[in-house]
Amino acid sequence: MMEVMATEESKQKRVEDILNGFQVNWMNLRDGDTGKILWQYNEDLSSPEVEHEARVPKRILKCRVVSREMNFSSVESMDKFRLEQKILFKGRCLEEWFFEFGYVISNSCNTWQSVIESAPESQMMPANILNGNVVIETKFFDGDLLITTSRVRLFYV
Amino acid sequence: MGLLSILKKLRSSPDKELRLLLLGLDNAGKTTLLKQLASEDVSHVTPTAGFNIKSVLSSGFKLNVWDIGGQRKIRPYWRNYFENTDILIYVVDCSDHQRLEETSTELAELLQDDKLRNVPLLVYANKQDLATALPASEVAQHLGLHLIRDRTWQIQACVATDGTGVKEGMEWVCKNIPVKK
Repeated sequence: MMEVMATEESKQKRVEDILNGFQVNWMNLRDGDTGKILWQYNEDLSSPEVEHEARVPKRILKCRVVSREMNFSSVESMDKFRLEQKILFKGRCLEEWFFEFGYVISNSCNTWQSVIESAPESQMMPANILNGNVVIETKFFDGDLLITTSRVRLFYV
Repeated sequence: MGLLSILKKLRSSPDKELRLLLLGLDNAGKTTLLKQLASEDVSHVTPTAGFNIKSVLSSGFKLNVWDIGGQRKIRPYWRNYFENTDILIYVVDCSDHQRLEETSTELAELLQDDKLRNVPLLVYANKQDLATALPASEVAQHLGLHLIRDRTWQIQACVATDGTGVKEGMEWVCKNIPVKK
């Protein structure tokens, strides 16, 4: 029993150490065809208590291809870094990405960009329905340890 | 030729997920090349202090391109990213005469690594727009490419900043994705 508690404690300590040195530096959305940035956010998105708000131009819904890019830095090295990113509409998952980075160098600064084709325009929900109801949720893990969750709610303006 | 169109060409491949690994010395132009492939602005590229990854998804197929920083202190970590690589892309700054030997040594080490065994190699002979740049054929000689026997390889002259030659290299990549067992 003591041993189990010790492992739990060391896990907790490890999560704290990683989180203290972990930061999401910026995030952006691009028109995947032209590479042009449609929205960029330069504040730390990694604090789990805060839900961030993004005001994204409506025309992003017309893009054939959209890219989401995140830049993050870590003081600690990690062996099995991975993330799970979900696009939620009213809490329901519309789309998800799992990505395994593997090793993360200590004191490194890294970017991950995912590019995806949009649903055909006929299936695309209109901006007024999506507005305020879409959340990009990104969970960062080292192996099975959850480090932090970043949530960004999208408003189409 | 964007990453999405590359992925579409690769759909005939039996693998659902493909991995391209981009390596080379610092300032070779790896990140610029990657941004050029996505039609992004390349005027403010800064040294990569870790990795940049682009993941593209289309009809259930995934292409991941890994660009790892080339600074001397990062190079020892390159091998952490070798696993499951389908194509190795090595970028050379052809105007950096002083470091031709250094880049040859680094490439030779990569080619000796077990995890990269038989992985096809594309060398981008970058910065051909500079007056001092060596032609691709001379760079090939310096790198000893003609001595490679255990994999297919190609050298492609290019200018990452304006995209010249980048598409041609990627077409070679599409044709040389190995069939994994």
